[in-house]
Amino acid sequence: MFYLQQIINGIAQGSIYALTAIGYAIILGIVNIPSFVHGDVMMIGAFAGYYSVLLFPDNLLLVFIIVFAATWVLGIIVDMVCYRRFRNSPRQVMLICTVGFSIFLKSSSQVIFGTRQKLIPNILGNNFFALGEIRITFVQIFIVSVVIFTVFLLQLLLYRTKIGLSVRAVSMHKSASALVGINVNQAMRFGNCLGCALGGIAGILLGVYYNAVHPLMGGNAAMKAFIAVIFGGINIPGAALGGLLLGIFENMGVSFFGSGYRDIVGYVILIIVLLIKPSGLLGRKESEIRI
Amino acid sequence: MSIFNYLKNQIRGKSHLTLGFLLVTLLLFPLLVKSQFIIRVVINILIYIMLASSMNIINGFGGMFSIGHAGYYCVGAYTAAILSTRFGWSFWILLPLSGAMAGIVSMLLLGFPALRLRGLYFAMVTLGFSEVIRLIVLNWITLTRGPMGIPGIPFPTFFGNSIRYNWQFYYIILGIVVLMLFIIQRVLNSRIGRAWISIREDETAASAMGVEVFRYKLMNLFFATFWAGVAGCIYAFFARYISADSFTLDEGFSILAMVIVGGQGSFIGPILGPFLLLTLTEIFRGIAQYRLIIFGAAILIVMHLRPGGIAGGRMHSIKLSNIQEIKQKLSVRQDK
Repeated sequence: MFYLQQIINGIAQGSIYALTAIGYAIILGIVNIPSFVHGDVMMIGAFAGYYSVLLFPDNLLLVFIIVFAATWVLGIIVDMVCYRRFRNSPRQVMLICTVGFSIFLKSSSQVIFGTRQKLIPNILGNNFFALGEIRITFVQIFIVSVVIFTVFLLQLLLYRTKIGLSVRAVSMHKSASALVGINVNQAMRFGNCLGCALGGIAGILLGVYYNAVHPLMGGNAAMKAFIAVIFGGINIPGAALGGLLLGIFENMGVSFFGSGYRDIVGYVILIIVLLIKPSGLLGRKESEIRI
Repeated sequence: MSIFNYLKNQIRGKSHLTLGFLLVTLLLFPLLVKSQFIIRVVINILIYIMLASSMNIINGFGGMFSIGHAGYYCVGAYTAAILSTRFGWSFWILLPLSGAMAGIVSMLLLGFPALRLRGLYFAMVTLGFSEVIRLIVLNWITLTRGPMGIPGIPFPTFFGNSIRYNWQFYYIILGIVVLMLFIIQRVLNSRIGRAWISIREDETAASAMGVEVFRYKLMNLFFATFWAGVAGCIYAFFARYISADSFTLDEGFSILAMVIVGGQGSFIGPILGPFLLLTLTEIFRGIAQYRLIIFGAAILIVMHLRPGGIAGGRMHSIKLSNIQEIKQKLSVRQDK
């Protein structure tokens, strides 16, 4: 029973990881480098959510739309600052730009929002379903359903629209997609914004799950997304699977070894996966990074 | 960017004069400056020059992409701290020992399994490796005292004299840094260094010319992480207190930032990078919360002005697949 409870907690947490990881996989596919600014995008999304919950406590849909818009705009800035100019440069330049921008965002939000953590008002209450000894809280159900709904919309966007098609094409091969008439710059910006906006929604969900937001919440969450992407493979189903499994493994690991080893589970998985099957569970060949 | 070129042209050809002038300034520095704060800042810059130069050996000359330099730094610092507080070993024995420890850990645990991975995948393993080391240090309380850190590391001695003032530390660390730069320079100009550069440029071509790629990469990893471990030992004795918080991923990222801002793959770059970034942030020490904002902004500004870093290194080979790059290189040559 105890382990079943851990698995359910793991699924709730893992679905947040999965949403972050899907956004991360889109960005990774587009720019071909791990973006270290993603955690801070999540943090900004969480703060946007926090302030809009204070403004509109009744309208949760509006809160999510505000978060989505805010992180989308942030995505445009990230693209301008970190990626656009360095497309033909060596890739460590992009990487170090994301590191610099991450430090910049983190420390300026510490100045703007203060270093103390802010409590998100508890809209959903502490209600839960009880099935015998197992408890499923409303918050967990809410999070899982938001994630499923968002991923559904994302699938529609990527597989049913023209811009989605061009994002997928660009993440496969940039020069080839330029040859068939795709505006590569536009598609890259769109994909990056999409990834950032998904990260923002994951950020506010993380805030709701832990009931708090603070300027340093992003770094760890983004590392989890990164591990989940590598674990599952750099594509959308892989990222989703990797995130869910990572959440479950982490919660199981905590119940076996104690909470000090929570983060180590993820990194050990990362190293083992990279050594045994670098392309991830659902990934294709090592050389191809695509979404 | 004409100012950089101007300075470059001024310095070129008079390198002995410049070097001598620089050395004399560095030697006289503690006599001229009385502020303890400034001396501590300069010692900090020297430690980061060690770290950045050692990372530059992997990233700039070995052609690998390592992000997790904080991990080896951590191994060196904890080796020195544990052996000196528990067994009272001297600073001078621990200096090479902690370096060797970091080198062996990186070579056995990272090099043997992970060197067959390329590019980004290798980078990810180093990142995970660094974080695993930090988390082990944080949780292995019987050995490392975990989150409490190790306080009270004894003062080192130098021919019977206890070293406790900042200026004494300054001279010792300066000596070690100069020695390190000299050794690195000699190694890079030897057969081994040439082999590393050839691997960086093209692995297949290098192995066709008779370079044993795997062995030379292992040597590269050991040599670089050795110096990171030495820097950790120096840091432990200088700060006299270490805890796992000093070796987070952000630490590794700032070392990487210093290397790339200075100019990856050049000898002088990892000296300029820490100097520029740390001086900039220390100037704004008074307004503490803006310090890191300026650090981040400085990285972005330098990258936008000079994507190759301040003293950016030059790649010698041209990949045939990238027409854009070839055109750029050809146009540069026509200008000259």
